[in-house]
Amino acid sequence: MLQGIGASPGYGIGKAIIIEDANLDYSSVKYSGAQEEKDRLYKAVEQFNEETREMAEGLKKSAGEKEAEILEGHITMLADPFMLSQMEENIDSGAVAEAAVDTVCTMFYDMFAAIEDEMMRQRASDVKDIKDTLIKILLGVKSIDISAVAKDSILIANDFTPSMTSQINGDNVAAIITEVGGVTSHSAILARAMGIPASLSAPNCMNVIQNGDMLIVDGFKGKVYINPSDDEINEFRQKQKVYLEEKEGLKVYFNKKTVTKSGLVKKVYGNIGKPDDAQNVIQNGGEGIGLFRTEFLFMDRDHEPTEEEQFEAYSTVAKTMDGKEVIIRTLDIGGDKAIDYLKIGREDNPFLGFRAIRYCLKNKELYKKQIRSILRAACFGDIKIMLPLVTCLEEVRQAKELIAECEQELENEGIKYRKAPLGVMIETPSAAIISDLLAKEVEFFSIGTNDLTGYTMAVDRGNANVSHLYDVFQPSVLRAIEMTIKNAKAAGIMVGMCGEAAANELLIPKLVEWGLDEFSVTPSSILKTRKTICECE
Amino acid sequence: MVQKSFTLKNKMGFHMRPAQVFVGAMAKYPADIKIEFNGKEIDGKSIMNIMASCMKCGSEITVKCSGENEEAMLAEAAAMIESGFGEE
Repeated sequence: MLQGIGASPGYGIGKAIIIEDANLDYSSVKYSGAQEEKDRLYKAVEQFNEETREMAEGLKKSAGEKEAEILEGHITMLADPFMLSQMEENIDSGAVAEAAVDTVCTMFYDMFAAIEDEMMRQRASDVKDIKDTLIKILLGVKSIDISAVAKDSILIANDFTPSMTSQINGDNVAAIITEVGGVTSHSAILARAMGIPASLSAPNCMNVIQNGDMLIVDGFKGKVYINPSDDEINEFRQKQKVYLEEKEGLKVYFNKKTVTKSGLVKKVYGNIGKPDDAQNVIQNGGEGIGLFRTEFLFMDRDHEPTEEEQFEAYSTVAKTMDGKEVIIRTLDIGGDKAIDYLKIGREDNPFLGFRAIRYCLKNKELYKKQIRSILRAACFGDIKIMLPLVTCLEEVRQAKELIAECEQELENEGIKYRKAPLGVMIETPSAAIISDLLAKEVEFFSIGTNDLTGYTMAVDRGNANVSHLYDVFQPSVLRAIEMTIKNAKAAGIMVGMCGEAAANELLIPKLVEWGLDEFSVTPSSILKTRKTICECE
Repeated sequence: MVQKSFTLKNKMGFHMRPAQVFVGAMAKYPADIKIEFNGKEIDGKSIMNIMASCMKCGSEITVKCSGENEEAMLAEAAAMIESGFGEE
């Protein structure tokens, strides 16, 4: 058994294929004049660029943009005028093209490898990859066609260069093993992106393992079993089956509609805090964004963001979601989220104080900038506005007036915008109690269970002496939720939930029964939540 | 010759992406560009030399441009460096 680093989860069972480094001995190549050698060099560079670009395209499909960028970086590195002129100088002083490539790349390899930095080591392996590929092209050496290996092959190499990994076909490769590299290496990142189990830095694996050996790779623990017994194989086949079933079990929910057994159609959305997170929602099968917290735009800085900055952030999310619903919650600061330059001041009871909608309605200029940027971003997708911490009708009416003012201003200024449906968060007992009245003012509700539980039970979840009272299953909290959903249904408006409770397996059946339409959860919980809903009556 | 000094602000310093963007922009100018860092002079048009020099966040560097249109070249270099190459 070899003990490597478990770098990509899963179990791989199959036959070993050892990928030897190609023979790059160029000592028998004869110098055929400076001009000839330069021509050979530039022809090889051209072919290199062409092949690399092709591989990058392929990689974009199998593993994603980020992985492909590494290969595209190789083209930029080789286009370096300094590097190429150094190679030419070498050729002028009598070196064959292969030797020129070798000398110059090795010089840079040594420079990068000498720096104590993970990223620089990656650059060193990039340079080596460039060097080997160029020399292979110059010599006309063909290496093993990795893309054509048989099904259930386990590939073993000293290291997988980006140009090698780009040829791996996930259907045929059961696992990969390397002699060097760790969890952050290129091989590891790619293996995870393609869902191929990997054991890296398995000591001396190139010598210990023979071509055709039967292998088991445990990608969790990094263990490699060589020619295991039938019992061991059966044991791991069983483990593999359970793991894949679990993974598959959720995967089937990726493209599935969220429909209960009796045919009720629901929606599972994701909660996000930054524009980048929207991608995460899509990758996890989210049908929209049920809560876009906008505080991030205002935090970690010394002045408020401009309308342009906000517009950029909101429209980015709208574009990423490509027509799917995006619910933007307006600024929810105060309470535990203090921001110095907003000058809220010290309060004895910040959770009962000057926060969220209360602050925004008193700071109209700041609030209008946010509303204007949301209305402008609405041109790029299905954007809705949600007000936080509403406790009374006046707050909603005042906000509506401000929104109308912003629309009029944009109209007068000739700036493109679109009307955005308005909703409120139900996160105070007051809002739940008057939810029948609020339902007549707005187009949707979203129940924020975190604050609703805290305010209903009058408990600080961070205080260990009382935190046991913080429980969404307390009858008062459940009644507040049920009342809100029923009032929304009676008024015919959409009602969702964006607190942690929306992903709670025990609560979901009740929420479905009461008629909740939309469940907005952290992106990693989306598929599990959809599964739970689909299993409801 | 015109020159200006900077302190690198973006977290990752002159890594692959900034170096790529920087070299791409500087290649448009016929003038020479040198970056002085740690007592060494680095060719500002060579991505390999820039990356290998290991300029990090907080590094003090001096950019020197000489040749045709050197003022504009320095101004563009300055804008990129001062904005942290659009990174954090």
